[in-house]
Amino acid sequence: MKNLHVVFISLMLLALSPLAAGGKPEQVTTPSNTLAWVENSLDNGLPGVNPLKVSGNIITAGSSTVYPLSERMAERFIEEGYSGSITIDSIGSGAGFERFTVAGETDISNASRPIKDKEIESAKTIGRVPLEFRVGTDALAVVVSKQNTFVKNLTKQELAKVFSTAKTWSEVNPAWPNEPILRFIPGTDSGTFDYFSEEIFKSNPEPLLSASNLQLSEDDNILVQGIKGSPYGIGFFGYAYYAENTASLNILDIEGIEASAANVDNGTYPLARPLFLYSDATIMRSKPQVAAFIDFYLSYVNEEIVGVGYFPAHEEALKKGQALWLEAMKGLY
Amino acid sequence: MHERSLHPFGKRKRIHERIIETILFLFAMLSILITVSIAFILIKESYLFFSDPDVRLLDFLTGKKWQPMIGLFGFLPLLNATLTTSLIAMVVGIPLGLFVAIYLSEYASDRIRGILKPTLEVLAGIPTIVYGYFALTFMTPLLRSVFGEANVEIYNTASAGLVIGILVLPMIATMAEDAIGAVPQELRLASYALGGTRIETTFEVVIPASLSGLSATFLLALSRAIGETMIVALASGAGPKLTANPFEAAETITGYIVRISGGDVSYNSIDYNSIFALGLILFIITFTLNLTSRKISSLFHQEYD
Amino acid sequence: MTDMQTQTLFGTDADINILMNKRKRTGMIWQAVFLFSTTLAIIFLLLLLLSVIDSSFGYVALRNEVEPSSLIEGKALIKEFSRTELESTAMDNLSSGILRRVESEKPIAQRSDHDLVSLLEQYVIKPKVLKTWGLWDSLTNTRAVEEYSRTESDSYLTFKSWINAEFFVADQSADPLHAGIRTAFLGSLWIILITFLFSFPIGVGAAIYLQEYAQDNRLNRILQLNIFNLSAVPSIIYGLLGLAVFVRAMQGFTSGSMFSSLSDATANGRTILSGGLTLGLLVLPIIIINTQEALKAVPASLRMSSYGIGATKWQTIWYQVLPASGERILTGTILALSRALGETAPLVVIGASTFISVDPTGVFSKFTTLPIQIYQWSARPQGAYRNLAGAAIIALLILLIIMNSAAIYTRDRLSKKKRLES
Repeated sequence: MKNLHVVFISLMLLALSPLAAGGKPEQVTTPSNTLAWVENSLDNGLPGVNPLKVSGNIITAGSSTVYPLSERMAERFIEEGYSGSITIDSIGSGAGFERFTVAGETDISNASRPIKDKEIESAKTIGRVPLEFRVGTDALAVVVSKQNTFVKNLTKQELAKVFSTAKTWSEVNPAWPNEPILRFIPGTDSGTFDYFSEEIFKSNPEPLLSASNLQLSEDDNILVQGIKGSPYGIGFFGYAYYAENTASLNILDIEGIEASAANVDNGTYPLARPLFLYSDATIMRSKPQVAAFIDFYLSYVNEEIVGVGYFPAHEEALKKGQALWLEAMKGLY
Repeated sequence: MHERSLHPFGKRKRIHERIIETILFLFAMLSILITVSIAFILIKESYLFFSDPDVRLLDFLTGKKWQPMIGLFGFLPLLNATLTTSLIAMVVGIPLGLFVAIYLSEYASDRIRGILKPTLEVLAGIPTIVYGYFALTFMTPLLRSVFGEANVEIYNTASAGLVIGILVLPMIATMAEDAIGAVPQELRLASYALGGTRIETTFEVVIPASLSGLSATFLLALSRAIGETMIVALASGAGPKLTANPFEAAETITGYIVRISGGDVSYNSIDYNSIFALGLILFIITFTLNLTSRKISSLFHQEYD
Repeated sequence: MTDMQTQTLFGTDADINILMNKRKRTGMIWQAVFLFSTTLAIIFLLLLLLSVIDSSFGYVALRNEVEPSSLIEGKALIKEFSRTELESTAMDNLSSGILRRVESEKPIAQRSDHDLVSLLEQYVIKPKVLKTWGLWDSLTNTRAVEEYSRTESDSYLTFKSWINAEFFVADQSADPLHAGIRTAFLGSLWIILITFLFSFPIGVGAAIYLQEYAQDNRLNRILQLNIFNLSAVPSIIYGLLGLAVFVRAMQGFTSGSMFSSLSDATANGRTILSGGLTLGLLVLPIIIINTQEALKAVPASLRMSSYGIGATKWQTIWYQVLPASGERILTGTILALSRALGETAPLVVIGASTFISVDPTGVFSKFTTLPIQIYQWSARPQGAYRNLAGAAIIALLILLIIMNSAAIYTRDRLSKKKRLES
């Protein structure tokens, strides 16, 4: 009987021991309204952020497109000293808005499309007023596998055909092989999906979703993997996922225009779209770590965005976000 | 009578015992509560699903396309993919599992059995995610190199099916071996006495005698294969498709549930309710198989002395 | 007479020989088939383990963002830098934010050389993975590996063991070179703890009731059958149950907002508590069935002798039956928990987080677990993540081996003692 007790206790201790082995436990939350992290103003007018003095938790969720960018900014925030916890769930812009505006589960919503009026209404019912912060631009990448040598460019019309009614490549262009088109697209919760159906199908997703050989996933990695291994596959997702896999994917020009930084900047690339963070003033004020993170994000995103694989937003767009931030945090520091 | 007050343990001890018994009874009833909750939740959400004007039961059961967002609720593609992977798994798992079981119980020496049984137990204890990884990184490239990249898509049901077969193999082998081992030695000896060879004894005496246990095993293995999630989530793809070709990608019932719930849909949206409806179907199928397996094993159970 | 062959029921002697040989041959063929099947099963196991091991070690082609030689003339490797060079390079090249954090944790002047080297590597040199190879490729196909390294400008090769000490203590990271499983590992352990605390008392209690107290009436037979069925329900159904009940319906309880004055505007039911309870429900039937078997194995004579000296039912159970069956119960419980450790699907449905930066601090923390980490890494297309997934699988298997060995050890140890005592 005593042996039993000993074994029980040692098992429980074994289970708990790694906690003692060090690591990064969350710091105790200091009382809410300390803005100890505020420093001298930066060039952009926002207060500087000292991540060492930020603690607490930040809960974010949303777009899988924005995910690599937010992940990079979160990592940098931690590298520079943030000791609290930050979680990012990559579940699709729509699902992210759901958590933000209906369930009230997140502090920041990542999105690759603007918030819909319906979602703003839902937010109102739980007492939130979404603030929009533009953080970057994505050039939606339409990609095929490296083994696909016959397609280099698609017009918008061809794009519509490829992703809806055409069963084989030769139906779109007789010069192409008579092989079935295998499609890999983001799932219906994804902002990328919404954007594509808006741009190419005038907001009617039915032809897109009725296409044959269709695979959907909110996880862009699954799409990359699928296209990589399918010589007759095609799909689309955020540019960063293409940039990470240039060795195995080919990107197509749209209407003859290449997806390059210049073309995104001057607005000629037809599938350039904005990337956003959404939050709410009440959250920012009651959880200053959220405000700190957004400040940090807005101030340093242009240093990191190219490395992640996206394109910087225009100055005016960033400035709008900065103004909103200052407005939300007025009088607190 | 005065024995109660004179009894050394008295009334207090009795109440103490009664309390403990009641607590333990409640614990046991918790299991009923769980089953009822599962049924309740699945049925409630499924009801919400089926009562939506877009969803018609007949279309659900016979429709060939599953795309909730545009109102297509044909459940056949998902069912078909589930059955394809499970069938492939059974074709691999049942013969191999049975043969391993026969080998272990009829032919293997004690020493070999001492090595093999633990090995099988190790195989049985490996988490399914590892098998999923194996399917994606080893089985799919293998199939592609054997059958050609043009014929085998990168996500396909064959790869998932084969690996599920490997997953259930140890389970089948262990349970079948138990069933075969339960056949008393007298039957075998009688067969030998009549001049039967070892193989004839096995096929004509032992296997029929253990048939109840074996069928129960196969049904349980089928149920396991149908309910398998992670292997298909990683290897068989993310698009529902009604196809007979196992080299094409097709999403199974479980794969769909995991994909949608991983993406987290709105409460009360049609997608959210659909995962419960599918969960209900899954529950009914596996419950029926399990119940049948139990019934068979008790109904045909032969008592030998 | 001597010329005539003996006529029997089955034909002549020669016929009988042919028949016997055919039967023997059939026997041998089938025996070969059985042996082959067994070998095949073993081969599958080996293939599984080998493919995991193959991913966990191998050559990596790297390219530095900043070459050491551009920092200090003439030195191609950081390791060659002198102490002063290390310090000055760190001061000059680390970004201000990172420098500030580093200095506040431990000033550069006080850090060891090894420390500074790894700091410079991580934040200044920033090697990027170009391509990885498995163990098999690395050992047999070195020519192709070197060929690649030659054709890619500025790349260099190193042989990496993806499973190493840092792997266990590092955070999650987008950079495969620095990613580790600490958060996932701790998440797994926390969840197993909750699972154990929930399912063990209830499971053992229910089993005691069913085995010791219940009469063989209809209700109890239904209970038995019900438990058996629950143990065979697919794990994803438990995930759906957990999602609907623990995450949504019981959100106040599982998110902790009921217990504290969390002014958190974002209370959330996707916590370790929800995950642990869901897995607890999953292993409950297994523990009940296992405990019942253990209790059945206790001889009736033990119970009878206890009643004989006047013990009550509960006294008998607590002082005689449970100790006698204790180690079997424990072994079975540990095996059930190791099954829970490997479960992925229910926790994905509950909502484990994609990216989480700190270790769980309590039952109301968000979480990720080791199997889920493996799932996420396996789904990513870049080769390096395959290697990480393989290394994480090895970590998971090691953990399972430890748990199963503990189970077998307690079973042998305690039963040996029993045998010695009797």
